[in-house]
Amino acid sequence: MLILLLILMPMALAPMSWLLGRRSKSLRNGFVVAAGFLELALALWAALRGGSAALPELCVLGFRFELDGFRRIYTLIFAGMWAMTLLFSPDYFAHHRKRNRYYFFQLLTLGATMGVFLAADLYTSFVFFEIMSFTSFAWVIQEETAGAIKAAKTYLAVAVIGGLAALMGLFLLWNSLGTLRISELCAAARAAGRSPTLYVAGGCILLGYGAKAGMFPVHIWLPKAHPVAPAPASALLSGALTKTGVWGILAISCNLFRGDPAWGALILGLGAVTMLLGAVLALFSVDLKRTLACSSMSQIGFILSGVGMICLLGEENALAARGTLLHMVNHSLFKLVLFLCAGAVYRNLHRLDLNEIRGFGRGKPLLMLCFLLGAMGISGVPLLNGYVSKTLLHEAILEGLPHYGWPLKAVEWIFLFSGGLTAAYMTKLFVAIFVEKHPTRQTEFDADKDWLSRPAALALGCSGAVIPILGFTADLSMNALADLGTDFLHGEPLAHAVRYLSLENLKGGAVSLAIGAAVYLLLVRTWMRKDGNYVNRWPGRLDLEELVYRPLLLKLLPGIFGWISAIFGENRLTVPLCRGLRRAARRIALLFGENRLTVPLCRGLRRAARRIALLFGENRLTVPLCRGLRRAARRIALLFGENRLTVPLARGVWKSVEGAAVGFGENRLSEPAARGIFAGAEAVSRAVSNRLEALAPGRRIGLSFGLLALALGLIGALIRLLSLL
Amino acid sequence: MTKLLLICTVLLPLLGGALLPLARRGSRSLRAAVLAVLILEAGAVTVLLLQPQAELTLFAMTDRLRVSLRLDGVSRLFLAVAAYGFLITGVYAFSYLEPGKGECGFFSFYLLALGALAGMDLAGNLTTMYLFFELATLCSMPMVLYDRTEESIRAAFKYLFYSMAGAFLALCAIFFLSKYCATLDFVPGGSLDPAAVAGHETLLRVLVFLGIVGFGAKAGMYPLHGWLPTAHPVAPAPASAVLSGIIAKAGVLAILRLLYYCVGPAFLAGSWVHYSLLGLALLTVFMGSMMAYREKVFKKRLAYSSVSQISYVLTGLFLLSPAGLTGGLLHVIFHACVKMLLFLCAGSFIHNMGLHRVEELKAVGKAMPKTLWSFTLGALALVGIPPASGFISKWYLAEGALDSGLPVFNWLVPVVLLISALLTAGYLLPITIDGFFPGRDLKAIPARNREGGPLMWAPLLLLAALSLGLGIFSSGLVRALSSLAAGLF
Repeated sequence: MLILLLILMPMALAPMSWLLGRRSKSLRNGFVVAAGFLELALALWAALRGGSAALPELCVLGFRFELDGFRRIYTLIFAGMWAMTLLFSPDYFAHHRKRNRYYFFQLLTLGATMGVFLAADLYTSFVFFEIMSFTSFAWVIQEETAGAIKAAKTYLAVAVIGGLAALMGLFLLWNSLGTLRISELCAAARAAGRSPTLYVAGGCILLGYGAKAGMFPVHIWLPKAHPVAPAPASALLSGALTKTGVWGILAISCNLFRGDPAWGALILGLGAVTMLLGAVLALFSVDLKRTLACSSMSQIGFILSGVGMICLLGEENALAARGTLLHMVNHSLFKLVLFLCAGAVYRNLHRLDLNEIRGFGRGKPLLMLCFLLGAMGISGVPLLNGYVSKTLLHEAILEGLPHYGWPLKAVEWIFLFSGGLTAAYMTKLFVAIFVEKHPTRQTEFDADKDWLSRPAALALGCSGAVIPILGFTADLSMNALADLGTDFLHGEPLAHAVRYLSLENLKGGAVSLAIGAAVYLLLVRTWMRKDGNYVNRWPGRLDLEELVYRPLLLKLLPGIFGWISAIFGENRLTVPLCRGLRRAARRIALLFGENRLTVPLCRGLRRAARRIALLFGENRLTVPLCRGLRRAARRIALLFGENRLTVPLARGVWKSVEGAAVGFGENRLSEPAARGIFAGAEAVSRAVSNRLEALAPGRRIGLSFGLLALALGLIGALIRLLSLL
Repeated sequence: MTKLLLICTVLLPLLGGALLPLARRGSRSLRAAVLAVLILEAGAVTVLLLQPQAELTLFAMTDRLRVSLRLDGVSRLFLAVAAYGFLITGVYAFSYLEPGKGECGFFSFYLLALGALAGMDLAGNLTTMYLFFELATLCSMPMVLYDRTEESIRAAFKYLFYSMAGAFLALCAIFFLSKYCATLDFVPGGSLDPAAVAGHETLLRVLVFLGIVGFGAKAGMYPLHGWLPTAHPVAPAPASAVLSGIIAKAGVLAILRLLYYCVGPAFLAGSWVHYSLLGLALLTVFMGSMMAYREKVFKKRLAYSSVSQISYVLTGLFLLSPAGLTGGLLHVIFHACVKMLLFLCAGSFIHNMGLHRVEELKAVGKAMPKTLWSFTLGALALVGIPPASGFISKWYLAEGALDSGLPVFNWLVPVVLLISALLTAGYLLPITIDGFFPGRDLKAIPARNREGGPLMWAPLLLLAALSLGLGIFSSGLVRALSSLAAGLF
């Protein structure tokens, strides 16, 4: 619960401060300072209690938080840094615009940064990491100058690209290991075995978190964004936000790749380059805050080389782990105080160029003391805390020498040389601000008694005071811190106590400081000065961003891929092609539809068909033909009907038939013959009847029957005869 | 009760839209009527969300071709997106559209399109879905025509042509599916009849491929994506918002139903269709983002962004794995929410300040802080910055791809998604940066409030809160969609 409050409370207070700021500015200032100290109190309480918390229902995989030793240290440091910068801010921003926005994002970022560190798994950490990236963007762009806008865009681009790379790493890890819990990563990775996937995942996460840490080659945003941000924000960017990047690198280096020499060598190499490059750039710069920013980069390089040594040394990593942890803590503290000093300078002069702020610090003991503590601490002067952590890191490298030979020897020399450069550029800053005099405005500077308000001075003093306290009680306080925190780094317990002020260790520090003195005297005082002024030797042309990243990401890749995409979209090629195709299709369609060819053709065909049809219909040929045929037929029919031939013939036949019929009918021949036959028959029948009448009746009947029988007999015989035929 | 509600959900907006032109009684009462219909519809959908699964046959054309409605998980999801999205956009449209300038026609087609979408969401078989799919195309086309300029008419016809051409391709597939499927009803996991398919696998795969590419026209999938960047910029902002956020999802729904409820993932898994579809979707994701990055007209940029983002959903669908499908379905909701928000923001810039092009949007944050803040949250959600919503869907998509075990695609999908996210950041975030931080040399835009009335910015704030809140509090949603997705395999 307490842990959740650490994260959510500042986030909840942020909108309240914004609303309050619209009513009253002074009330808002008090409110945010109170919020900072409330968070500090909560952090103290939480650091004493420890524990863990979870929000399993949010964002699908859920958030898990843990408060172990390392995180206790860092919640306290963060809360302290925010409290100090918030206390410093009202004075710094006294004449600035848009303060409401600044405080709003200041509190949001506090919650998010707490979330990154308190996370118990990479997923939770990543979510808050992204929130932090975006809310801190508002810091960088706060001043809205052209430089600030450009730097902020670079910052955002790096943050987005880094974030996406880290996300890819998380995808791969989640897929191959099935867990993102930091405490389970090591066992899961060992169970899964070393596979290329694991290294790709690690590389992606390294890129993401390394970008925030300012690791080479993704450091480009750091030397630009830190100088343009308001000083309190720069202090946090440098001291706190880079540490979230280191935290991510630690989380995978000490768990996923625990004791993996290849991984260690990679980190060590990148760390060495970062360390040297940052230190060289810091030396060349004549801008106060840019020097400090490059110094941050260099110190992150120191820390990364410690991380690399943790992996390289495997079981003997106690010194490396303690050195890494302590250097992280120390660097946060140094950068807090140094950037607040820079803020005090900028608040009064609104300049950061060393030539213009020369001599400002003269006669301001608080400012001088604080800056001196920070500068000496970071340069590794014995008795201060920076010396302790650098010594431990150096010891760790020495410890690895027998195993790894000359490459490590080279790293050692880079380490010492960069330490020397640190001393040199810090001396350069100190001498410029506090020793030299401004050629024209010195009296004005000396007369300035109101150069910092009391609360801001308190913030500055408190931040400075921590450094000697830790330094002088190193054996007590710093060892305790190291004991508390190394669990997270999986540092082995220390075999024997380190005597920081032994001759052997002092020698390393002395070598470094000697190099620093030599560089300062031989290089800074001669080559970098001209006519009493500091010459800007900043290698502006060798800017990795302008030379490589911007052309690559803004011109080359979008050009190439845009061109490729355009091939698949509408462009000069496809649009005419489509139009051409459409036209061709229309032509083809017309070819099969009505056109100059088909319409006449069809007409012709139709005409031809009509002709043909006419050919078989009534025409000059067929009509007479038909008529002729009809006539012929009629003739033929007439031939067989009544005509001049048949009618007389038929009449003749008829007549002849009639004549013949007359011949067989009653005619001159047949009539007399018939009459004669009839008369003969009459005479015969009369004779017979006369005879019969003369007979007696009996006899007459008998004879009649006899005659009848005779007739019947004759008829029967006739039938008989006929049947025989 | 449920059945009656099913019919009402479809008929209410259809009737409302059809009857709207009859009630000529002034702008106020017209808007009141539209609002009433939209609220009633949203209420009906809310009740439906809580109802158990239901099915209802309206009438049968033949015994195989039936028009039937059905309420299941997928329809609940798409129905909710459509009804609530139309309600929010509708409220915005009241202040965006000038009274009396063809608003009656706009709103009546607006409601008709909602009705058609509701019908499509609730369709119980392929026939019904196809019917409403065509209806949705026809009803949404006139919204593009609102301006009556030559450009808008041409764009509307381009939209019509692409959608119809796609639908006919899909119709081919449906004809054949009716032969090879045991039933045209939606069956989770597909209803292919193995006996009928035997020996015709290649033919069926070709047809399914064509069908999906055809339905993909609506979803803006390459190669039929051309209508989106043409139609969206000329349509009025509320129309582009629903076209992009909701109506284009009709294509997603159609593909989902075809792929998972008719053909079944098992039939395609590992075949060339599977790989070519994934390839097309990824190509669209990348190409859309790249084109958006190079585009300077704000709404056209958003249209290209939609092309890319809807193909995130399709990628999830085509992965044919439960996690991928979950991611795709999540992205349906999130993208709908965010893209409506972004288009409405673009509408506010156009309506209140007359700003069309990206470079004109410099310093717009001074005059319209609420709008630009909403836009920023939407942009972050679309890029996929945790804890905003796009992150969650991307997580599941990537997980689905890595788990799928497909060669090449298992790592290519997350890589393309992340590159596309980077491009998304590249084309959205500079608008925010330049809008809020124009630099001091720019002559100041009048700093007074130009947000428009509360009806104009309240929907924006609501959508912005949703696009952030849905990401943070997504566990319940993810559980529901995961179980839905798991049921389809």
